[in-house]
Amino acid sequence: VIAGLGMTDLGKVYGRTPGDFAADAVRRAAGDAGLQLADIDGLLTSSGVTGGVSVDLQRDLGLTDLRLLSHMQSYGSTAGAMVQVASLAVMSGTASVVACVFADSPLQPERGAGAVYGTRRAPAGWWGLLGASGVIGANPMYALAARRHMERYGTTTEQFGHIAMAQRSWAALNPAAQLREPITLADHQASRWIADPFRLLDCCLVSNGGIAVIVTTAERAAGLSQPPVHVLGWAQSHPGQYLRRHPDFGLVTGAATAGPAALEMAGVALADVDVVELYDCYTYTVLVTLEDYGFCPKGEGGPYAASGVLGPGGKLLLNTGGGQLSGYYMWGMTPLSEAVIQARGHGGERQAAAHDVVLVSGNGGVLDHHATLVLASEAGAA
Amino acid sequence: MTVGPVARDAATAEFFDATAAGKFELRRCPAGHFSEPPAAQCTTCASTSLHWEAASGGATLVSWAVAWSRPATGEPQPTVLVIAELDEGPWWWSQLADADPANLAVGQRLRIEFRRAGPEHEAVPVFALA
Repeated sequence: VIAGLGMTDLGKVYGRTPGDFAADAVRRAAGDAGLQLADIDGLLTSSGVTGGVSVDLQRDLGLTDLRLLSHMQSYGSTAGAMVQVASLAVMSGTASVVACVFADSPLQPERGAGAVYGTRRAPAGWWGLLGASGVIGANPMYALAARRHMERYGTTTEQFGHIAMAQRSWAALNPAAQLREPITLADHQASRWIADPFRLLDCCLVSNGGIAVIVTTAERAAGLSQPPVHVLGWAQSHPGQYLRRHPDFGLVTGAATAGPAALEMAGVALADVDVVELYDCYTYTVLVTLEDYGFCPKGEGGPYAASGVLGPGGKLLLNTGGGQLSGYYMWGMTPLSEAVIQARGHGGERQAAAHDVVLVSGNGGVLDHHATLVLASEAGAA
Repeated sequence: MTVGPVARDAATAEFFDATAAGKFELRRCPAGHFSEPPAAQCTTCASTSLHWEAASGGATLVSWAVAWSRPATGEPQPTVLVIAELDEGPWWWSQLADADPANLAVGQRLRIEFRRAGPEHEAVPVFALA
């Protein structure tokens, strides 16, 4: 059960280290749950590109006698993986109250995010060779993946644009979102190329901040402050396709196996899902994940996204906080945090009327690490 | 369209010796499987008895993207980046020299060429339309 959610100020928040954000997020999550820091006996930490979050967070928070402590890293799938490990820990009695936290602060005043995300070029060795070849960072790698899909299935940049537009419309309803001005398809098509086929509005933004959740047992959560959010199912899938010859690269992701596995564990069908929060480093990531989860047949993600099902008032309630494209970029904590908000019924203007079952994805590497969570507002939902 | 500087380390020394001689070398195991150059074990059978063997230099286009750099001054510069399937099987990620991205198609024939950022830097394999 997820009993607490802590979110720091997110976005262009300067002067604080990732460690500062992580500690702030855990304090907020404990407070949100109605717990004292001293109640926490398990801590799982994770960090973004700038690092700076580690098991040292225990000391920063003054936590003593922890029964579970580890740093986890499977990129954008880490948040889902942390909730899985924390759930196993509380089910087994390994620990009773586990805080899971992510924090990062890549943004600096007067310096573009690209300067942070683009300076990981190694000057020597195999990674140096990749960089010297021009293949630097996530943008071209995901662009190469998306192009495969476009060439195979006829997917178009306009179809990507519908995903960007829909998420911006959701962000307009989310006070915590960084980009809330509505955009049109023409705005999307006019935005500059980052790595063709991706335009600027196909790419996630970059944020400073931290988000934590508190995982505990249903019994413990019953007496706490917030409506408990039950973790009904989970699964990971790590295909091992990246930088290897693989016929599925860019076409099929780990979501294709993890999604059905998590739903089976939860005992719910895709048709029972009320709200969908998908990892969206790029518009294309959303499209391919929708296909892999089975919301539409493989190859039809483009027409599906453009069919009018997305956005507020649409049939598919997807990335209802604006996601990482328009909301805030906290890796897997972005879809997870919005899922908790929706499952609780705390979404304000953007709250889904039906929110019994929420499907959450995490994606990392280059479509090479995946975690699915099935959350529910009631333990026996669906 | 240019390649960047890259230096050798212990793992890449033999590979760059070969690129300096105009050869792209792959890893090959005793069973005959080819693996991509950085492989420490065979990607088919996990053998660690790998030796270097020159690829033919022929390849086909798997995917491409056009990265737009934003230099401090001047216009944005495009670089066509590709995944290519070498005729021996492994895939390789690099740039496509002197190509118009509007006229590319999956399966197009490519060949490996080499470029250097400068005389003091290692030769970097790139692809060109065959």
